[in-house]
Amino acid sequence: MLACLGLAGAQPAAGAESWSIAGGEVRVRCRMTVGGSFDAVTSIVSGTLRRETQDTGSYTGELRVDLSTLDTGIGLRNEHLRSTYLELDRRPEFRDAVLSGIVLDQAPPAGNSRHETGFSGTLTLHGVQRAVEGDADLRRRNGRMQLEASFSLSLDAFDIPPPRYLGIGVRDAIEITVRFDAARDETSPDGGS
Amino acid sequence: MTGMGKLRSTARVALVIAALGGAWSVLPASAEPTFLSKQYPRCTACHYSAAGGGLLTPYGRSLSREEISTFGRQGASGVPSTGSTAGEEGFLFGALSSESPLQLGLDVRPSHLEVDVPGRTIADRNFLMNLDLQAAWRRDRWTAYGSVGRAPAGGGGELVSYEHWVAWQVTDTVSVRGGRFLPAYGVRFADHTSFTRARLDLAQDDQVYGLEVDVSSDRTLLQVSAGPGRAESLIDGDGRQAFTSSARFQVDLSPRMVLAASALYRATSDVAPRSTGTGLSFGYAPAPWLTTWTHADVQFQRLDASGRAYILANQTSVEALRGVWLRISPQLRWTDTDPRSEIRRLVYGLDLYPRTHWHVNLSYYRDHLPFRGGRVRTLLAQLHLYL
Repeated sequence: MLACLGLAGAQPAAGAESWSIAGGEVRVRCRMTVGGSFDAVTSIVSGTLRRETQDTGSYTGELRVDLSTLDTGIGLRNEHLRSTYLELDRRPEFRDAVLSGIVLDQAPPAGNSRHETGFSGTLTLHGVQRAVEGDADLRRRNGRMQLEASFSLSLDAFDIPPPRYLGIGVRDAIEITVRFDAARDETSPDGGS
Repeated sequence: MTGMGKLRSTARVALVIAALGGAWSVLPASAEPTFLSKQYPRCTACHYSAAGGGLLTPYGRSLSREEISTFGRQGASGVPSTGSTAGEEGFLFGALSSESPLQLGLDVRPSHLEVDVPGRTIADRNFLMNLDLQAAWRRDRWTAYGSVGRAPAGGGGELVSYEHWVAWQVTDTVSVRGGRFLPAYGVRFADHTSFTRARLDLAQDDQVYGLEVDVSSDRTLLQVSAGPGRAESLIDGDGRQAFTSSARFQVDLSPRMVLAASALYRATSDVAPRSTGTGLSFGYAPAPWLTTWTHADVQFQRLDASGRAYILANQTSVEALRGVWLRISPQLRWTDTDPRSEIRRLVYGLDLYPRTHWHVNLSYYRDHLPFRGGRVRTLLAQLHLYL
Protein backbone atom coordinates (compact mmCIF):
# COMPACT_ATOMS: atom_id res chain seq x y z
CA MET A 1 0.00 0.00 0.00
CA LEU A 2 2.74 2.39 0.94
CA ALA A 3 4.54 1.35 -2.16
CA CYS A 4 1.44 2.11 -4.19
CA LEU A 5 1.11 5.51 -2.53
CA GLY A 6 4.74 6.15 -3.22
CA LEU A 7 4.31 5.32 -6.87
CA ALA A 8 1.25 7.47 -7.06
CA GLY A 9 3.17 10.35 -5.58
CA ALA A 10 5.74 10.15 -8.36
CA GLN A 11 3.07 10.54 -11.04
CA PRO A 12 1.52 13.84 -12.06
CA ALA A 13 -1.69 14.66 -10.28
CA ALA A 14 -4.86 13.95 -12.20
CA GLY A 15 -5.63 16.92 -14.44
CA ALA A 16 -2.12 18.31 -14.20
CA GLU A 17 -0.39 19.36 -17.37
CA SER A 18 3.13 20.43 -18.16
CA TRP A 19 4.24 22.37 -21.21
CA SER A 20 7.69 22.92 -22.61
CA ILE A 21 8.29 25.89 -24.83
CA ALA A 22 9.50 24.73 -28.23
CA GLY A 23 9.97 28.11 -29.88
CA GLY A 24 8.74 31.65 -29.78
CA GLU A 25 9.40 35.30 -30.18
CA VAL A 26 9.46 38.30 -27.90
CA ARG A 27 8.88 41.69 -29.46
CA VAL A 28 9.58 44.83 -27.44
CA ARG A 29 8.08 47.93 -29.00
CA CYS A 30 9.96 51.06 -28.00
CA ARG A 31 8.30 54.40 -28.70
CA MET A 32 10.71 57.14 -29.68
CA THR A 33 10.53 60.66 -28.32
CA VAL A 34 10.47 62.07 -31.86
CA GLY A 35 7.48 59.90 -32.78
CA GLY A 36 7.43 56.49 -34.36
CA SER A 37 8.76 53.37 -32.77
CA PHE A 38 11.10 50.47 -33.27
CA ASP A 39 10.98 46.84 -32.23
CA ALA A 40 13.62 44.89 -30.38
CA VAL A 41 13.09 41.22 -31.17
CA THR A 42 14.46 37.90 -30.02
CA SER A 43 13.46 34.33 -30.65
CA ILE A 44 15.45 32.87 -27.77
CA VAL A 45 12.58 31.98 -25.47
CA SER A 46 12.60 28.97 -23.20
CA GLY A 47 10.91 27.56 -20.15
CA THR A 48 8.41 25.11 -18.77
CA LEU A 49 4.94 25.85 -17.45
CA ARG A 50 2.92 23.51 -15.31
CA ARG A 51 -0.69 23.60 -14.24
CA GLU A 52 -1.73 21.34 -11.39
CA THR A 53 -5.46 21.11 -12.04
CA GLN A 54 -7.76 21.79 -14.95
CA ASP A 55 -9.89 24.24 -13.03
CA THR A 56 -7.16 26.71 -12.25
CA GLY A 57 -5.45 29.34 -14.34
CA SER A 58 -2.30 29.29 -12.21
CA TYR A 59 0.92 28.04 -13.76
CA THR A 60 4.13 27.27 -12.01
CA GLY A 61 7.41 27.40 -13.82
CA GLU A 62 8.76 30.30 -15.80
CA LEU A 63 9.27 31.87 -19.16
CA ARG A 64 12.87 32.92 -19.77
CA VAL A 65 14.16 35.30 -22.46
CA ASP A 66 17.82 35.76 -23.35
CA LEU A 67 18.17 39.54 -23.52
CA SER A 68 21.60 39.39 -25.12
CA THR A 69 19.91 38.31 -28.34
CA LEU A 70 17.52 41.27 -28.55
CA ASP A 71 17.95 42.81 -31.98
CA THR A 72 16.76 46.28 -32.96
CA GLY A 73 18.12 46.14 -36.50
CA ILE A 74 20.82 48.73 -35.75
CA GLY A 75 24.16 47.64 -34.34
CA LEU A 76 24.82 50.76 -32.32
CA ARG A 77 21.31 50.67 -30.87
CA ASN A 78 21.77 47.01 -29.94
CA GLU A 79 25.00 47.76 -28.16
CA HIS A 80 23.58 50.66 -26.21
CA LEU A 81 20.50 48.65 -25.31
CA ARG A 82 22.47 45.71 -24.01
CA SER A 83 25.36 47.45 -22.30
CA THR A 84 24.06 50.82 -21.13
CA TYR A 85 20.42 50.26 -20.34
CA LEU A 86 19.90 46.56 -19.66
CA GLU A 87 23.46 46.26 -18.28
CA LEU A 88 23.69 42.61 -19.19
CA ASP A 89 27.25 42.26 -17.95
CA ARG A 90 26.54 43.79 -14.56
CA ARG A 91 25.35 40.55 -12.95
CA PRO A 92 24.48 37.12 -14.37
CA GLU A 93 20.82 37.49 -13.48
CA PHE A 94 20.62 40.66 -15.59
CA ARG A 95 21.13 38.58 -18.71
CA ASP A 96 17.63 37.10 -18.76
CA ALA A 97 14.13 38.40 -18.31
CA VAL A 98 12.00 35.91 -16.41
CA LEU A 99 8.23 35.80 -16.21
CA SER A 100 6.93 33.58 -13.43
CA GLY A 101 3.85 33.10 -11.27
CA ILE A 102 1.61 33.31 -14.31
CA VAL A 103 -2.08 33.34 -13.50
CA LEU A 104 -4.76 33.46 -16.17
CA ASP A 105 -7.86 35.33 -15.11
CA GLN A 106 -9.99 32.50 -16.43
CA ALA A 107 -8.82 28.91 -16.59
CA PRO A 108 -8.62 27.59 -20.16
CA PRO A 109 -11.09 24.85 -21.02
CA ALA A 110 -9.85 21.34 -21.60
CA GLY A 111 -9.23 20.01 -25.07
CA ASN A 112 -8.77 21.84 -28.34
CA SER A 113 -9.84 25.41 -27.82
CA ARG A 114 -9.10 29.07 -28.18
CA HIS A 115 -9.14 31.10 -25.03
CA GLU A 116 -8.78 34.85 -24.60
CA THR A 117 -8.30 36.18 -21.10
CA GLY A 118 -6.33 38.52 -18.94
CA PHE A 119 -3.28 37.40 -17.05
CA SER A 120 -0.91 38.50 -14.32
CA GLY A 121 2.58 37.46 -13.36
CA THR A 122 5.88 38.53 -11.92
CA LEU A 123 8.56 39.86 -14.22
CA THR A 124 12.20 39.88 -13.19
CA LEU A 125 14.16 42.30 -15.32
CA HIS A 126 17.34 44.27 -14.68
CA GLY A 127 17.52 42.71 -11.23
CA VAL A 128 14.11 44.06 -10.25
CA GLN A 129 10.91 42.10 -9.66
CA ARG A 130 7.59 43.71 -10.50
CA ALA A 131 4.06 42.47 -11.00
CA VAL A 132 2.78 42.78 -14.56
CA GLU A 133 -0.59 42.16 -16.15
CA GLY A 134 -1.90 42.04 -19.66
CA ASP A 135 -3.92 40.08 -22.20
CA ALA A 136 -3.38 36.57 -23.44
CA ASP A 137 -4.70 34.65 -26.42
CA LEU A 138 -4.19 30.93 -25.93
CA ARG A 139 -4.85 28.22 -28.49
CA ARG A 140 -4.57 24.50 -27.86
CA ARG A 141 -4.65 21.87 -30.52
CA ASN A 142 -3.38 18.32 -30.75
CA GLY A 143 -1.10 18.45 -27.76
CA ARG A 144 0.37 21.85 -28.56
CA MET A 145 -0.31 25.24 -27.11
CA GLN A 146 0.22 28.56 -28.86
CA LEU A 147 0.11 31.67 -26.77
CA GLU A 148 0.29 35.35 -27.58
CA ALA A 149 0.44 37.67 -24.62
CA SER A 150 0.96 41.40 -24.47
CA PHE A 151 1.63 43.75 -21.64
CA SER A 152 3.29 47.08 -21.02
CA LEU A 153 5.83 48.15 -18.46
CA SER A 154 7.65 51.21 -17.24
CA LEU A 155 11.42 51.30 -17.70
CA ASP A 156 11.68 53.47 -14.62
CA ALA A 157 9.91 50.83 -12.51
CA PHE A 158 12.73 48.42 -13.36
CA ASP A 159 15.45 50.96 -12.61
CA ILE A 160 16.40 51.20 -16.27
CA PRO A 161 17.68 54.70 -17.00
CA PRO A 162 15.83 56.73 -19.63
CA PRO A 163 17.40 55.83 -23.00
CA ARG A 164 18.75 59.00 -24.56
CA TYR A 165 21.37 59.43 -27.27
CA LEU A 166 22.22 62.67 -29.06
CA GLY A 167 18.79 64.14 -28.51
CA ILE A 168 16.78 61.06 -29.44
CA GLY A 169 15.19 58.91 -26.78
CA VAL A 170 12.80 56.12 -25.94
CA ARG A 171 9.70 56.85 -23.91
CA ASP A 172 9.28 55.24 -20.51
CA ALA A 173 6.33 53.00 -21.37
CA ILE A 174 7.17 50.09 -23.63
CA GLU A 175 4.94 47.35 -24.99
CA ILE A 176 5.91 43.71 -24.97
CA THR A 177 4.40 40.94 -27.04
CA VAL A 178 5.28 37.34 -26.28
CA ARG A 179 4.47 34.52 -28.67
CA PHE A 180 5.41 30.94 -28.06
CA ASP A 181 4.61 27.46 -29.14
CA ALA A 182 4.69 24.82 -26.41
CA ALA A 183 4.48 21.07 -26.54
CA ARG A 184 2.76 19.10 -23.88
CA ASP A 185 5.18 16.97 -21.92
CA GLU A 186 4.66 13.24 -22.27
CA THR A 187 4.55 12.84 -18.51
CA SER A 188 1.36 14.84 -18.43
CA PRO A 189 -1.71 12.70 -17.92
CA ASP A 190 -4.34 12.73 -20.65
CA GLY A 191 -1.72 14.22 -22.95
CA GLY A 192 -2.71 15.02 -26.42
CA SER A 193 -5.77 17.10 -25.70
CA MET B 1 5.90 61.70 -91.49
CA THR B 2 5.73 65.14 -93.04
CA GLY B 3 8.42 67.74 -92.58
CA MET B 4 6.16 69.73 -90.31
CA GLY B 5 5.21 66.61 -88.37
CA LYS B 6 8.86 65.69 -87.97
CA LEU B 7 9.57 69.20 -86.77
CA ARG B 8 6.78 69.00 -84.19
CA SER B 9 8.01 65.59 -83.07
CA THR B 10 11.56 66.88 -82.71
CA ALA B 11 10.34 69.89 -80.79
CA ARG B 12 8.33 67.67 -78.47
CA VAL B 13 11.32 65.42 -77.82
CA ALA B 14 13.45 68.51 -77.24
CA LEU B 15 10.96 69.73 -74.66
CA VAL B 16 11.07 66.39 -72.92
CA ILE B 17 14.86 66.49 -72.96
CA ALA B 18 14.73 69.94 -71.45
CA ALA B 19 12.39 68.67 -68.78
CA LEU B 20 14.26 65.47 -68.09
CA GLY B 21 17.86 66.23 -68.82
CA GLY B 22 17.97 69.85 -67.80
CA ALA B 23 16.51 69.08 -64.44
CA TRP B 24 19.81 67.60 -63.28
CA SER B 25 21.54 70.92 -63.51
CA VAL B 26 20.34 71.96 -60.10
CA LEU B 27 20.66 70.53 -56.69
CA PRO B 28 18.84 67.56 -55.30
CA ALA B 29 17.91 67.54 -51.68
CA SER B 30 17.09 65.14 -48.88
CA ALA B 31 18.18 61.67 -47.95
CA GLU B 32 16.67 58.45 -49.13
CA PRO B 33 13.74 57.16 -47.13
CA THR B 34 15.44 53.78 -47.19
CA PHE B 35 16.10 53.87 -43.47
CA LEU B 36 12.61 52.51 -42.98
CA SER B 37 14.41 49.17 -43.19
CA LYS B 38 16.24 50.12 -40.00
CA GLN B 39 12.93 50.93 -38.29
CA TYR B 40 13.06 54.69 -38.73
CA PRO B 41 9.62 55.65 -40.04
CA ARG B 42 10.04 59.36 -39.23
CA CYS B 43 12.41 61.85 -40.84
CA THR B 44 12.95 63.76 -37.60
CA ALA B 45 15.11 61.02 -36.13
CA CYS B 46 17.93 62.07 -38.45
CA HIS B 47 16.95 65.41 -40.01
CA TYR B 48 16.03 68.78 -38.55
CA SER B 49 13.21 69.14 -41.05
CA ALA B 50 10.04 67.21 -40.28
CA ALA B 51 9.58 66.77 -44.03
CA GLY B 52 13.02 65.21 -44.38
CA GLY B 53 16.10 66.26 -46.23
CA GLY B 54 18.72 68.83 -45.45
CA LEU B 55 21.09 68.96 -42.54
CA LEU B 56 21.50 65.88 -40.39
CA THR B 57 21.02 66.09 -36.64
CA PRO B 58 23.90 64.84 -34.45
CA TYR B 59 21.96 61.57 -34.14
CA GLY B 60 21.65 61.34 -37.92
CA ARG B 61 25.35 62.05 -38.30
CA SER B 62 26.15 59.30 -35.85
CA LEU B 63 24.01 56.84 -37.78
CA SER B 64 25.61 57.89 -41.06
CA ARG B 65 28.91 56.77 -39.65
CA GLU B 66 27.89 53.76 -37.61
CA GLU B 67 25.12 52.28 -39.74
CA ILE B 68 25.53 53.55 -43.30
CA SER B 69 29.21 53.80 -44.11
CA THR B 70 31.10 50.68 -45.09
CA PHE B 71 34.31 51.43 -43.23
CA GLY B 72 33.41 54.22 -40.80
CA ARG B 73 31.96 52.18 -38.00
CA GLN B 74 33.83 52.26 -34.75
CA GLY B 75 31.48 50.12 -32.69
CA ALA B 76 30.33 50.45 -29.12
CA SER B 77 33.82 50.78 -27.73
CA GLY B 78 34.34 54.00 -29.63
CA VAL B 79 30.91 55.53 -29.23
CA PRO B 80 29.84 57.05 -25.95
CA SER B 81 26.32 55.90 -25.13
CA THR B 82 25.46 59.29 -23.71
CA GLY B 83 26.88 62.78 -23.87
CA SER B 84 28.65 64.46 -26.71
CA THR B 85 30.63 63.16 -29.60
CA ALA B 86 33.02 65.02 -31.82
CA GLY B 87 34.17 62.29 -34.13
CA GLU B 88 34.66 62.18 -37.84
CA GLU B 89 30.90 62.20 -38.36
CA GLY B 90 30.73 65.77 -37.11
CA PHE B 91 30.93 68.93 -39.17
CA LEU B 92 34.30 69.02 -40.91
CA PHE B 93 35.27 65.75 -39.23
CA GLY B 94 34.60 66.91 -35.68
CA ALA B 95 34.95 70.68 -35.66
CA LEU B 96 31.75 71.00 -33.62
CA SER B 97 30.65 68.97 -30.61
CA SER B 98 27.37 67.15 -30.98
CA GLU B 99 26.17 69.00 -27.87
CA SER B 100 26.57 72.40 -29.44
CA PRO B 101 23.18 74.02 -30.12
CA LEU B 102 24.64 75.22 -33.41
CA GLN B 103 25.23 72.55 -36.01
CA LEU B 104 26.66 73.18 -39.45
CA GLY B 105 26.97 71.19 -42.63
CA LEU B 106 28.45 71.51 -46.09
CA ASP B 107 26.79 69.81 -49.02
CA VAL B 108 28.84 69.49 -52.20
CA ARG B 109 27.94 67.50 -55.30
CA PRO B 110 30.34 67.46 -58.23
CA SER B 111 28.58 65.58 -61.00
CA HIS B 112 28.99 64.08 -64.43
CA LEU B 113 25.99 63.86 -66.75
CA GLU B 114 25.51 62.06 -70.04
CA VAL B 115 22.27 62.35 -71.98
CA ASP B 116 21.68 60.17 -75.01
CA VAL B 117 18.89 60.97 -77.43
CA PRO B 118 18.82 59.08 -80.75
CA GLY B 119 19.48 61.46 -83.60
CA ARG B 120 20.86 64.21 -81.42
CA THR B 121 24.28 64.99 -80.06
CA ILE B 122 24.36 66.29 -76.56
CA ALA B 123 27.71 67.04 -74.97
CA ASP B 124 28.57 65.35 -71.70
CA ARG B 125 28.69 67.72 -68.78
CA ASN B 126 30.82 67.99 -65.68
CA PHE B 127 29.45 70.46 -63.20
CA LEU B 128 29.04 71.31 -59.55
CA MET B 129 25.45 70.45 -58.85
CA ASN B 130 25.43 72.31 -55.59
CA LEU B 131 27.57 73.84 -52.89
CA ASP B 132 25.51 74.68 -49.82
CA LEU B 133 26.22 75.67 -46.27
CA GLN B 134 23.52 74.48 -43.89
CA ALA B 135 23.04 75.63 -40.33
CA ALA B 136 20.68 74.72 -37.52
CA TRP B 137 20.42 76.15 -34.06
CA ARG B 138 18.37 74.18 -31.57
CA ARG B 139 17.80 75.04 -27.94
CA ASP B 140 14.98 73.88 -25.69
CA ARG B 141 11.85 73.96 -27.84
CA TRP B 142 13.17 76.22 -30.59
CA THR B 143 14.91 75.37 -33.84
CA ALA B 144 16.15 77.86 -36.41
CA TYR B 145 17.30 76.44 -39.73
CA GLY B 146 18.75 77.89 -42.88
CA SER B 147 20.83 77.07 -45.91
CA VAL B 148 22.74 79.25 -48.28
CA GLY B 149 24.50 78.25 -51.44
CA ARG B 150 25.38 78.94 -54.98
CA ALA B 151 22.41 78.96 -57.28
CA PRO B 152 22.72 76.67 -60.29
CA ALA B 153 24.60 78.15 -63.19
CA GLY B 154 21.43 78.46 -65.23
CA GLY B 155 19.93 80.58 -62.50
CA GLY B 156 22.71 83.12 -62.57
CA GLY B 157 25.04 81.61 -60.00
CA GLU B 158 24.07 84.03 -57.26
CA LEU B 159 23.61 83.03 -53.62
CA VAL B 160 20.29 81.49 -52.78
CA SER B 161 18.69 80.16 -49.61
CA TYR B 162 16.36 77.33 -50.47
CA GLU B 163 15.24 76.73 -46.90
CA HIS B 164 15.03 79.00 -43.89
CA TRP B 165 12.52 78.51 -41.14
CA VAL B 166 11.94 78.67 -37.41
CA ALA B 167 10.16 75.88 -35.53
CA TRP B 168 8.66 75.80 -32.07
CA GLN B 169 7.89 72.55 -30.27
CA VAL B 170 4.68 73.61 -28.58
CA THR B 171 4.15 70.34 -26.71
CA ASP B 172 5.61 66.85 -26.95
CA THR B 173 3.24 66.16 -29.82
CA VAL B 174 2.62 69.51 -31.51
CA SER B 175 5.11 71.70 -33.35
CA VAL B 176 4.77 74.76 -35.53
CA ARG B 177 7.19 76.13 -38.08
CA GLY B 178 7.16 79.13 -40.33
CA GLY B 179 9.39 80.19 -43.17
CA ARG B 180 10.54 78.68 -46.42
CA PHE B 181 10.37 74.90 -46.73
CA LEU B 182 9.22 72.14 -49.03
CA PRO B 183 5.68 71.13 -48.07
CA ALA B 184 5.29 67.60 -46.76
CA TYR B 185 3.71 65.45 -49.45
CA GLY B 186 3.91 61.77 -50.26
CA VAL B 187 7.35 60.22 -49.96
CA ARG B 188 10.32 62.46 -50.53
CA PHE B 189 12.73 60.60 -52.75
CA ALA B 190 16.21 62.07 -52.82
CA ASP B 191 16.09 62.24 -56.61
CA HIS B 192 14.41 65.55 -57.26
CA THR B 193 13.76 64.57 -60.88
CA SER B 194 11.55 61.65 -59.88
CA PHE B 195 8.02 62.03 -61.18
CA THR B 196 6.74 62.24 -57.62
CA ARG B 197 8.69 65.44 -57.14
CA ALA B 198 9.44 67.16 -60.44
CA ARG B 199 6.00 66.43 -61.87
CA LEU B 200 4.28 67.60 -58.72
CA ASP B 201 6.15 70.89 -58.46
CA LEU B 202 8.04 69.60 -55.44
CA ALA B 203 11.49 69.76 -56.95
CA GLN B 204 14.65 71.42 -55.74
CA ASP B 205 13.44 75.03 -55.86
CA ASP B 206 9.73 74.57 -55.22
CA GLN B 207 9.76 75.46 -51.55
CA VAL B 208 6.88 77.56 -50.30
CA TYR B 209 6.61 80.32 -47.80
CA GLY B 210 4.12 79.26 -45.22
CA LEU B 211 3.18 78.05 -41.81
CA GLU B 212 3.15 74.37 -40.93
CA VAL B 213 1.62 72.56 -37.98
CA ASP B 214 2.75 69.04 -37.12
CA VAL B 215 0.86 66.77 -34.76
CA SER B 216 2.78 63.63 -33.94
CA SER B 217 1.79 60.60 -31.92
CA ASP B 218 3.40 57.21 -31.50
CA ARG B 219 1.75 55.85 -34.62
CA THR B 220 0.58 58.87 -36.58
CA LEU B 221 1.93 62.10 -38.00
CA LEU B 222 -0.24 64.89 -39.37
CA GLN B 223 1.43 67.76 -41.23
CA VAL B 224 -0.67 70.68 -42.45
CA SER B 225 0.70 73.79 -44.11
CA ALA B 226 -0.64 76.92 -45.76
CA GLY B 227 0.92 80.02 -47.21
CA PRO B 228 1.09 82.52 -50.04
CA GLY B 229 2.83 80.07 -52.34
CA ARG B 230 6.04 79.18 -54.11
CA ALA B 231 8.90 81.14 -52.61
CA GLU B 232 10.88 81.76 -55.79
CA SER B 233 7.76 83.00 -57.55
CA LEU B 234 6.99 85.36 -54.70
CA ILE B 235 10.52 86.73 -54.91
CA ASP B 236 10.66 86.94 -58.70
CA GLY B 237 7.05 87.88 -59.30
CA ASP B 238 6.84 85.44 -62.18
CA GLY B 239 3.10 85.03 -61.90
CA ARG B 240 3.19 81.50 -60.47
CA GLN B 241 2.62 82.58 -56.90
CA ALA B 242 -0.73 81.41 -55.52
CA PHE B 243 -2.16 80.38 -52.20
CA THR B 244 -0.85 76.89 -51.46
CA SER B 245 -1.85 74.45 -48.76
CA SER B 246 -0.87 70.89 -48.09
CA ALA B 247 -1.80 68.07 -45.76
CA ARG B 248 -0.08 64.78 -45.14
CA PHE B 249 -1.24 62.09 -42.76
CA GLN B 250 1.07 59.19 -41.99
CA VAL B 251 0.16 56.04 -40.14
CA ASP B 252 2.92 53.76 -38.94
CA LEU B 253 1.33 50.36 -39.42
CA SER B 254 4.46 48.91 -37.87
CA PRO B 255 8.02 50.18 -37.40
CA ARG B 256 8.72 48.90 -40.91
CA MET B 257 5.43 49.66 -42.65
CA VAL B 258 4.08 53.12 -43.36
CA LEU B 259 1.02 54.44 -45.14
CA ALA B 260 0.70 58.14 -45.95
CA ALA B 261 -2.15 60.06 -47.60
CA SER B 262 -1.41 63.52 -48.97
CA ALA B 263 -3.15 66.45 -50.58
CA LEU B 264 -1.74 69.58 -52.14
CA TYR B 265 -3.86 72.50 -53.26
CA ARG B 266 -2.69 75.45 -55.33
CA ALA B 267 -5.05 78.26 -56.12
CA THR B 268 -5.26 79.89 -59.53
CA SER B 269 -2.23 82.00 -60.35
CA ASP B 270 -1.63 84.46 -63.16
CA VAL B 271 -0.15 81.72 -65.32
CA ALA B 272 -1.54 78.43 -64.04
CA PRO B 273 -4.98 77.04 -63.30
CA ARG B 274 -6.03 75.90 -59.87
CA SER B 275 -4.77 72.40 -59.12
CA THR B 276 -5.28 69.77 -56.51
CA GLY B 277 -3.06 66.76 -56.05
CA THR B 278 -3.86 63.74 -53.95
CA GLY B 279 -1.42 60.96 -53.26
CA LEU B 280 -1.10 57.71 -51.43
CA SER B 281 2.29 56.36 -50.40
CA PHE B 282 3.13 52.98 -48.98
CA GLY B 283 6.49 52.08 -47.55
CA TYR B 284 7.42 48.57 -46.53
CA ALA B 285 10.67 47.04 -45.36
CA PRO B 286 10.20 43.28 -45.06
CA ALA B 287 13.86 42.82 -44.12
CA PRO B 288 16.60 44.99 -42.63
CA TRP B 289 18.25 45.19 -46.07
CA LEU B 290 15.20 45.89 -48.20
CA THR B 291 12.96 48.94 -48.50
CA THR B 292 10.27 49.55 -51.06
CA TRP B 293 8.16 52.66 -51.47
CA THR B 294 5.22 52.99 -53.81
CA HIS B 295 3.44 56.25 -54.54
CA ALA B 296 0.26 56.80 -56.54
CA ASP B 297 -0.87 60.29 -57.36
CA VAL B 298 -3.81 61.94 -59.07
CA GLN B 299 -3.80 65.61 -60.02
CA PHE B 300 -7.00 67.39 -60.91
CA GLN B 301 -7.39 70.39 -63.20
CA ARG B 302 -3.70 70.50 -63.73
CA LEU B 303 -3.58 70.73 -67.50
CA ASP B 304 -5.64 72.59 -70.02
CA ALA B 305 -5.93 69.53 -72.22
CA SER B 306 -6.75 67.10 -69.50
CA GLY B 307 -8.74 67.02 -66.32
CA ARG B 308 -6.48 64.59 -64.57
CA ALA B 309 -2.87 63.51 -64.51
CA TYR B 310 -1.69 60.29 -62.89
CA ILE B 311 1.63 59.21 -61.49
CA LEU B 312 2.70 55.78 -60.34
CA ALA B 313 6.18 55.35 -58.93
CA ASN B 314 8.05 52.75 -56.99
CA GLN B 315 11.51 52.74 -55.56
CA THR B 316 13.01 49.57 -54.18
CA SER B 317 16.39 49.61 -52.48
CA VAL B 318 18.48 46.65 -51.45
CA GLU B 319 21.51 46.85 -49.18
CA ALA B 320 23.68 44.28 -50.91
CA LEU B 321 26.60 44.90 -48.57
CA ARG B 322 27.04 47.31 -45.74
CA GLY B 323 27.10 50.74 -47.37
CA VAL B 324 26.29 49.38 -50.84
CA TRP B 325 22.72 49.96 -51.96
CA LEU B 326 21.16 48.86 -55.24
CA ARG B 327 18.15 50.82 -56.35
CA ILE B 328 15.50 50.36 -59.02
CA SER B 329 12.66 52.75 -59.68
CA PRO B 330 9.94 52.31 -62.30
CA GLN B 331 7.85 55.42 -62.82
CA LEU B 332 4.87 56.20 -65.01
CA ARG B 333 2.95 59.36 -65.73
CA TRP B 334 -0.01 59.87 -68.01
CA THR B 335 -3.12 61.97 -68.44
CA ASP B 336 -6.60 60.70 -69.10
CA THR B 337 -7.20 62.48 -72.40
CA ASP B 338 -3.82 63.06 -74.02
CA PRO B 339 -1.82 59.91 -74.88
CA ARG B 340 1.09 62.06 -76.07
CA SER B 341 1.88 62.99 -72.50
CA GLU B 342 2.63 59.46 -71.32
CA ILE B 343 6.16 58.98 -70.04
CA ARG B 344 7.64 55.77 -68.69
CA ARG B 345 10.85 55.81 -66.73
CA LEU B 346 13.07 53.13 -65.33
CA VAL B 347 15.94 54.09 -63.05
CA TYR B 348 18.77 51.82 -62.01
CA GLY B 349 20.89 53.15 -59.19
CA LEU B 350 23.93 52.28 -57.15
CA ASP B 351 24.71 54.15 -53.95
CA LEU B 352 28.05 53.66 -52.25
CA TYR B 353 28.83 54.98 -48.78
CA PRO B 354 32.44 53.95 -48.32
CA ARG B 355 33.18 56.27 -45.44
CA THR B 356 31.38 58.87 -43.36
CA HIS B 357 30.56 61.96 -45.45
CA TRP B 358 31.20 60.16 -48.74
CA HIS B 359 28.38 59.11 -51.02
CA VAL B 360 28.84 58.01 -54.62
CA ASN B 361 25.65 57.96 -56.64
CA LEU B 362 25.47 56.26 -60.02
CA SER B 363 22.07 56.46 -61.68
CA TYR B 364 21.01 55.34 -65.13
CA TYR B 365 17.67 56.62 -66.42
CA ARG B 366 15.68 55.23 -69.32
CA ASP B 367 12.79 57.46 -70.33
CA HIS B 368 10.35 56.23 -72.91
CA LEU B 369 7.62 58.20 -74.69
CA PRO B 370 5.37 55.50 -76.11
CA PHE B 371 3.25 57.75 -78.31
CA ARG B 372 6.19 59.05 -80.31
CA GLY B 373 8.53 56.18 -79.68
CA GLY B 374 11.12 58.56 -78.29
CA ARG B 375 13.70 57.36 -75.83
CA VAL B 376 16.10 59.30 -73.63
CA ARG B 377 18.91 57.66 -71.71
CA THR B 378 20.70 59.54 -68.98
CA LEU B 379 23.67 58.62 -66.85
CA LEU B 380 24.41 60.56 -63.70
CA ALA B 381 27.63 59.97 -61.77
CA GLN B 382 27.84 62.06 -58.67
CA LEU B 383 30.11 62.41 -55.69
CA HIS B 384 28.06 63.67 -52.80
CA LEU B 385 30.05 65.04 -49.91
CA TYR B 386 28.05 65.93 -46.81
CA LEU B 387 30.63 67.43 -44.50
